[in-house]
Amino acid sequence: MDDLVLRTVGITKRFGGRLATDSLTFHIQRGEVFALLGPNGAGKTTTVRMLVGIIDPDEGRIEVRADGARFSSLPPPLTGYLPEDRGLYQEIPVVRSLTYFGRLRGLDAREAGRRAAAWLERMGLLDRQTERLDRLSKGNQQRVQFIAAVLHRPAVAVLDEPFSGLDPVSQEFFIDLMAEMKREGTTILLSAHQMDLVERVADRVLLLNRGREILSGSVAELHRRLDRRPRLRLTLERAEDMAVVRADADVAEAAVDGPDLCLVLRDGAQVPAVVARLVTTVQTRAIGADAPRLHDVFVRAVRDDDNKLAEPSS
Amino acid sequence: MTNVRHVWIVTQWEFHRFFKWKDQLLSLALFLLVSVVWMGAGFVAGLSSSAVTIALAGVEAPPEPHGRFRFMPAPPDPAARTRALQDRTVQAVLSRGTDGGFVLLVTKEPTYRAELSGMLDAVVRRERLEVAGVTAAALQRILEPAALDVRFENPARARVGRAEKLVAAGCVGVMLIAIFTSLSYLLIGITGEKQLRVTESVISAVSPQAWIDGKVLGISAYALVSVVNMIVGLGLIGVAAQVASGFAWPAAALRPSVVTVLLLYTVLGLLFWNAFFAAVAATVNDMYTSSRSSLMFLPVLPVVLSVVVIKDPDGLVARLLALLPITSAPALPMRLVLSDPGLVEVSASVAVLAGAVWVMRIAAGRIFQLGILLYGKEPTLNEIGRWATARHER
Repeated sequence: MDDLVLRTVGITKRFGGRLATDSLTFHIQRGEVFALLGPNGAGKTTTVRMLVGIIDPDEGRIEVRADGARFSSLPPPLTGYLPEDRGLYQEIPVVRSLTYFGRLRGLDAREAGRRAAAWLERMGLLDRQTERLDRLSKGNQQRVQFIAAVLHRPAVAVLDEPFSGLDPVSQEFFIDLMAEMKREGTTILLSAHQMDLVERVADRVLLLNRGREILSGSVAELHRRLDRRPRLRLTLERAEDMAVVRADADVAEAAVDGPDLCLVLRDGAQVPAVVARLVTTVQTRAIGADAPRLHDVFVRAVRDDDNKLAEPSS
Repeated sequence: MTNVRHVWIVTQWEFHRFFKWKDQLLSLALFLLVSVVWMGAGFVAGLSSSAVTIALAGVEAPPEPHGRFRFMPAPPDPAARTRALQDRTVQAVLSRGTDGGFVLLVTKEPTYRAELSGMLDAVVRRERLEVAGVTAAALQRILEPAALDVRFENPARARVGRAEKLVAAGCVGVMLIAIFTSLSYLLIGITGEKQLRVTESVISAVSPQAWIDGKVLGISAYALVSVVNMIVGLGLIGVAAQVASGFAWPAAALRPSVVTVLLLYTVLGLLFWNAFFAAVAATVNDMYTSSRSSLMFLPVLPVVLSVVVIKDPDGLVARLLALLPITSAPALPMRLVLSDPGLVEVSASVAVLAGAVWVMRIAAGRIFQLGILLYGKEPTLNEIGRWATARHER
């Protein structure tokens, strides 16, 4: 496909009295991986559903231009869609379901069957192609669902929460798949909340909270926004030492992350000196430098937005 | 064009999703087995029905034939009668009561009671005729119905009448069975797709209208094939019965135009109700708990109302029922074979029903588009009404 333009202009959707998306304006470039991020209920799935034409916006418009034609949502033959609410026909053999979805997206039966077999082989499921879907494990059912979404080699793949419910190995597998699709020129719209995974594949991101845009830009730009203060991650032997660490003069922020304590040091703090001081004052099992993560940027942005909304208007 | 292609793909999918040769052959085999067992059971029951010996005390033997009954004079001594009952020489002792009725003395519940009562009716009737001085021949003359010889202006109409009535009744029957067959698949299929979350995957690829059209067509085709399969089974049994009994079907002729209209109504009626139930199913989360499952009995109502047509096929009510799309599927075929509604009435009725099928599929598509994505809460009737009348983008 030579041309593809996907743009939303002020799309707003309400369900009853609740605002699901509020005047969202963004565009997606051909061949990029664009990620919609946000906490649960931020409006990601509603946005995705409007883009693929399942629901219509109450206000605003969606402009899609592809192959010289204009559309008000992504046209089905060009689009592969992995919905958040996943499901295929449980009682039907895997290859039959895949062929059906391939045909619905414009393939003829023979080609759909051939591609389904190729994908199943790649996923290690070829020997199970004639089995009913409900005989497969949940992870394998997810793989079949992914095949159903991309079998017809869509120009745009819309993947709503593709990592949810997957084990780490499968998550890596899907990240590799997305990277490969991107290399082949597929435009990918990703909706997710696992920032650590998203930042590995996405080119640009749009962070939503309560249906509104609160942050957007390329991953590189967002990296530049990171808090560059020095950081440490340490594991304490005794939990009661946490107060001692927090009280250190060079520690600006301290947050518990699983078994670890993540410290943000004050600007100008000398890291070796802080480490030397901490290992003598508290018993540590491990201590090391920590890197700033985009995850923190998003958590902070969402919290700031929530706090702003919670403040009484003056 | 894409929509037509999608409708065709969905139609094929829905048909093959439920149609399985193995199941069809199995149902045919079961049907045959049940029929054979039924017939065999009747035959065996006839062979094995035990003889009943009844001692008559002051009662004349009923007129022949006696069937499985054997009548013998009862011993004069009551004690001897009791002994005969106890040692099972006889199963019952029949005597007259003081009121002119009969008394049957037994040791256990008489399973032959109805048969015996029928015989005793004949005895009593004969006695009463004798008392009244009326001979049996005279009574027969009195009860003979008035002769009414119906002669058709066009003799060919007489020949087609009976066969067409049979075909019309058959078509209404086929339509009802097909409606109920497809109804369960529509309801279970659509609510199942909602529960399994298949809907979003499909609805992003095809328009809701194409999906519902394909569903209705595919499941209707499946239901018709299943019913035809059943009819084939019945036909085989009918042929077997014909061969066994030497029964010959009366010579009959069918007018092709009438048969065409009958078949058209069967298909249109089926499509109308299936579009209706597809829309209902889209608004339901679980058929087993939803109050809307009671709507499934609705298609019987027009058939019941059509009794009016049988009584007065040219009356105003019959004409109205034959025109209204909800009732015309059973009513017009009945009018067609019982009367002569004329080309204008038939054409108008066909047009109205075909139009109603079209409107129903559009409304169903609109309800389907919104209902199919609604999980948890069932929409109210007001909401459904709004959906059906509102135009959506896709």
